[in-house]
Amino acid sequence: MYGWIWRHLPGPVALRVVEAIVLVAAVVALLMLVVFPWVEPLLPFNDVSVQ
Amino acid sequence: MSTSDEEPPAARVPATGAESSAVSAADRPPAPPPRPRGGKVRTAVRGFGEVLITLGLVLLLFVVYELYVTNWKSGRLQNEASAQLEQEWRSAPQGDRELHVDPADGQAFARMYIPTFGVDWSFTVQEGVGPDALEIGPGHYKNTEMPGQPGNVGIAGHRVGKGAPFNDLDLLNSCDPVVIETGDSFYVYRVLPMRDEVDGWADGKGRQQRCANVAPLQDKQHAYDETFGRRIVLPDRGDAVAPVPYKARNPLPKASQASLLTLTTCHPQFSDAERMIIHGVLTNQYKKSEGTGYDDLLAEIGEA
Repeated sequence: MYGWIWRHLPGPVALRVVEAIVLVAAVVALLMLVVFPWVEPLLPFNDVSVQ
Repeated sequence: MSTSDEEPPAARVPATGAESSAVSAADRPPAPPPRPRGGKVRTAVRGFGEVLITLGLVLLLFVVYELYVTNWKSGRLQNEASAQLEQEWRSAPQGDRELHVDPADGQAFARMYIPTFGVDWSFTVQEGVGPDALEIGPGHYKNTEMPGQPGNVGIAGHRVGKGAPFNDLDLLNSCDPVVIETGDSFYVYRVLPMRDEVDGWADGKGRQQRCANVAPLQDKQHAYDETFGRRIVLPDRGDAVAPVPYKARNPLPKASQASLLTLTTCHPQFSDAERMIIHGVLTNQYKKSEGTGYDDLLAEIGEA
């Protein structure tokens, strides 16, 4: 998977490193800003009230 | 790297001179034959492994999110709510600082302090126990009393992430104060005796000065037979915040109810299997006056 991505990144090695970092940052941002906030309410330790 | 990420890098020996490089070239073991590439099984197995590693990293990232990022977000929200509450109290005329009888959902209407957790431990209390209110800080159960009233003030708070205001709730002991500040007053509640402290309270811990107004409720009213300083209950015990705790059908007229404070959070930590409940009783209240604040109150109640 990672090898495949690396082989398909265009440009010389230095540029590819930059591209890879940008890709990782984008994935992390997607997780932090969209996925995790969505998943979080489904997890157990957020229920603190009695009902 | 462009064609393969698995071929071992060619062995290199540092060349220190023409002679040594010639020797090393001769001594070098023959390069292993290139491994066969492109097997579908190999690719699948490697891909599977990479997916597993990736999932592991995502999980680690989620832990970081839950323990740190949510704290930053909640910290910002808490600061905003705190500043807004401060301004509200400052702008209201002194005589007109009555508690909002009916604060809006998610609106901060009081501030709570637990000196045991440090003098700087303070959070605004929001109306309601929905996710949005609790993200800002502790939330007040809407159908429970307002601070200072007979009956029960119910407050829920996160124990993990989101500022984790109630992270250390299990460290509270009997007689530890929990202070609620409203527009015009400070209300000092103190944690009730634990179940195993009730017997012999009057001759034991009850003699300490800081326990002056704290006594097992069971002594006065049998209705409070289940109300102790700390309890662990199942999540469906909504009656933990009932006017008389654990009595869904209120057995006492309001005038004879004790003025209680009930804090709830999840238990065990990182789980929602149970709830930790802390019950406190109102021991003192002080009208706020200009120029005095929480620090003066701490000195007054002997917790400075």
